Amino acid sequence: MQSKRAKLLLLALQLVCGLLYAQPPCESALTGRVVDENGSPLFGATVFLSPGNFGTITDNEGSFSFMKLCPGKYTVAIQYVGYHGMSMRIDVDGQTVRVFELQEDVTRLDEVVIEHHDPANTEHATNFTELTGRELAKTAGKTLGETLAHLAGVNTLQSGPGVFKPIVHGVHSQRVLILNHGIRQEGQQWGAEHAPEIDPLIASNIVVIKDASAIKYGSDALGGVIVINPPPLPETGKFDGTVSTVLQSNGRSGTLSGMLQGGLKDRDGWGWRVQGTVKRTGDFETPNYVLTNTGIQEANFSAATGYHSKNAGLDLFFSRFQSEIGILRGTAINSMDDLLSAMERDVPLYTRDFSYTIREPRQEVTHNLLKLDGHISGMNGEWRMQYGFQDNHRLEFDMRIGDLSKVPATNLRLKTHSVDVEWETHHSETRTLSFGANAMFQENRNVPGTQRIPFIPDFDNITAGAFATSSLFYDRWTIDAGLRYDHRTYSVRGFDFKNSLYRSSMDFGSVSGSLGVSREIARDDVARLSLSTAWRPPHVSELFSLGRHQSVAAIEYGLMLNESTNEVMDVDDVGVSPEQAFKAVASYEINRERFSLTVSPYANYIRNFVYLRPEGVTRTVSGVYPYFRYKQTDALFIGVDADASMTLNRHLTAKSGVSLLRARDVDNNSYFLFIPSNRYSIDLHYERPEVGALRSVYLETRGQYVQKQTFSPRVLTVREITQQEEDSDPFEEDRSIFDFTPAPDGYFLWNLAGGFSVDAGKVRYDFRLSVENLLNTRYREYTNRLRYYADEVGRNFAVSVKCNF
Amino acid sequence: MNTTVNLSNAIFKPFVVFIVLCAIVLVSCDDDDPEKEDAPELITKVTLTFTPTGGGDPVVATATDPDGEGVQDMETDGPINLAANTTYTLTIGLTNELATPGTEAYNVTKEVRDDDDDHLFFFSWTENFFSDPAGNGNVDNRTDPVNYEDFDEDGLPLGLTTSWTTGDGASGTFRIILKHQPDLKTASSSSSVGETDLDIEFEINAVE
Repeated sequence: MQSKRAKLLLLALQLVCGLLYAQPPCESALTGRVVDENGSPLFGATVFLSPGNFGTITDNEGSFSFMKLCPGKYTVAIQYVGYHGMSMRIDVDGQTVRVFELQEDVTRLDEVVIEHHDPANTEHATNFTELTGRELAKTAGKTLGETLAHLAGVNTLQSGPGVFKPIVHGVHSQRVLILNHGIRQEGQQWGAEHAPEIDPLIASNIVVIKDASAIKYGSDALGGVIVINPPPLPETGKFDGTVSTVLQSNGRSGTLSGMLQGGLKDRDGWGWRVQGTVKRTGDFETPNYVLTNTGIQEANFSAATGYHSKNAGLDLFFSRFQSEIGILRGTAINSMDDLLSAMERDVPLYTRDFSYTIREPRQEVTHNLLKLDGHISGMNGEWRMQYGFQDNHRLEFDMRIGDLSKVPATNLRLKTHSVDVEWETHHSETRTLSFGANAMFQENRNVPGTQRIPFIPDFDNITAGAFATSSLFYDRWTIDAGLRYDHRTYSVRGFDFKNSLYRSSMDFGSVSGSLGVSREIARDDVARLSLSTAWRPPHVSELFSLGRHQSVAAIEYGLMLNESTNEVMDVDDVGVSPEQAFKAVASYEINRERFSLTVSPYANYIRNFVYLRPEGVTRTVSGVYPYFRYKQTDALFIGVDADASMTLNRHLTAKSGVSLLRARDVDNNSYFLFIPSNRYSIDLHYERPEVGALRSVYLETRGQYVQKQTFSPRVLTVREITQQEEDSDPFEEDRSIFDFTPAPDGYFLWNLAGGFSVDAGKVRYDFRLSVENLLNTRYREYTNRLRYYADEVGRNFAVSVKCNF
Repeated sequence: MNTTVNLSNAIFKPFVVFIVLCAIVLVSCDDDDPEKEDAPELITKVTLTFTPTGGGDPVVATATDPDGEGVQDMETDGPINLAANTTYTLTIGLTNELATPGTEAYNVTKEVRDDDDDHLFFFSWTENFFSDPAGNGNVDNRTDPVNYEDFDEDGLPLGLTTSWTTGDGASGTFRIILKHQPDLKTASSSSSVGETDLDIEFEINAVE
């Protein structure tokens, strides 16, 4: 049915484009093979032949053929993502056979190797999307969150123009697991304004697994897993590198990034790489005003070395991420009256001229990662082991009395050790089986001296788990199954509202499981279905939070706090249950010569979903505050992601993406806050392999329409709350979740970009010029926590130059 | 081929040992209790002391919020009963009773005084309650009269000490707002500038 429609569509397009298939009866043929520099076949490369406008895609041997050609001169144009396109004149006479070798782009796309998976054993039934090569290069200079937002089903939870957290299928923070170089990223993810501490320029490909089937990576991944993969280390004496720079007009930002890699002479197998990025951004600007104090400074560095032989490998990796981020000055709120005036004004308070200076409120974050991993294979299978150490240090500076502004209001240090061991057997060609275990020890400490009662307590977290996964290949079927058990212990020490010490400890344990089935249908179509269940113990912040957190005019109380006395309750008296998700993701993929389509509906039912609910107002000496309490409910997330791509002619490709989502609080018949609204995009990409001395010349445009979020909670304005009679409770009648303002209107954004490459001997330069928000549209995004106070950023011109040597 | 395998093993074995050592490290952890923080910004008690300049007993009113950011509401006592046609000096005391008495964190008044160039008290009251200052206070309009008795080094008012003369018998309300105006305090910075550290209101009477 769908393929029939696709064919009709294709046919219609061919008519529109005036592509004629009628050819004179000729008997010559061109057969070819597309390979990379090492002679390995490239599967799925597009090959065009003109005159005649024939097109095809290489098979898994890298082969293609054009039959029934008239003898004569033809131009063959070949394109493959991550490689330079090539165009060549050839004579076809009789049976002509040629091999075409493509030069790799340095940011080469490697096959979807989910870290530590044998490429041959990548989980076939997994629903994933990925960013690679040039797609990644497009977002150079952006944060990881912004980079990921280019993927279907991924959005961001924003706190201003510099803080982006990925949202996968509607959920974020602890519910999205990020694997950086195979290690679970452990930072202070609980905070909505705490972005992942990862330099996206470190990656050669980023994969988002959306069906929780990545059972090897542990608990918590109710929404999905984001896998950030580095390129493999060089294994020969070859030496190369890149230097790239990005300049952006909005925020007047500059990013400089460099990478060097190579091997050791006469020591095949050894490889090394160093990489670094520095970035400086000033205040961002909306179409009408400056967003004062939104600058960013970042300095990142990483180094890797390793040895690889045919049967074994050992890698050592270190990375350091360091950033300082300003939070919009106009959001520093200390009372409901301040909040009221901040929300009701058009231009945020304290808006000043552009500056690079970062003042309070601001964050300073450092994240160090050290990783050692190895694998060794024998006759029966392969052992893999890795150890990771992460040291995350987060300082938050608020507007405070006198010299206290120089003293961090939050000063948290999180140290995480993790060990992963896996054994994978190669039973047969039709079955694989692997077993593994993970252990993690984590200690989170408030560094003394903040002169404020800590918002979250000190804690130790010991987590251990074990898993088994298996894949079966039978005819056109692939079946994956996985099962794991995890146990977590928290040991907590903190101070309550009276500033007196409490201690608490608790245990959680549960099972995760997944079952995925995929079937190849027709020639290149695939249908997949995966069912999984995953769990997540509530985080310490959700259990013990007390007070106010940076730039939020609301007091938060954790699940463990007594509702009338504020005291920390005994574990046995509180019914805290872990979240348990039941997720189904289906997808259907159609791949035709010039057309591909993936439609992926999903449903995620999360029991005991933890969220913040308004409970009342409390009067303090500085005014009236609403207070929120962590509560648990049952939540249902239903959505569809769809992507289509069509080759209109040998130069022009069109892509379209649709992402729909609806999230409900099932128990309270209500909606949640900051759930991404429906969005639709269209991309047009025009490319010529050669124009004069320029290579890979392209021009592209993207239009994105974001609908207004209609599935949003009720509105209760700050004015309504503050005008309540004294001693009355504005939430007495209705304790359901609310929003301070209605959801912002939908908006349309238009981007334009173009670029080309120049070969100068052994050096290649890639140039790119782009404009984002071309129409300088004034808009607010529902998933930005600063939407109450300020508009989104306006037009942005960016120039990037990358030098590959 | 064999040599590579041996080399791999040579590297791999210490690695396994290392992993085991790491696992041992994981189990040992420090269990020290965290250090207690002072919380000098937290105000749990505000004391207003109206001292008659001509002598006599001071009139005291307090606002208390013993649990700070806990769910319990702040409570104010009062009403403030002043004598009609009398001049008073008002001093404001700010205390954090969750801190240890005698420590810096306990005495918030001193914090505010030390940081006088970033702080400003605003006052508002029922129109014409006082004969001096006249009007209804400077919350709605910064330039309206309030008799400040203390000033920062730039000569801008602070408001921990103020002077008031009641009129004829009347009753009404008296509101005090303390604004934190870091780098924002000027001769015209209004009560909507900066963060609110304090915002309390009392019933007030002038008795003939």
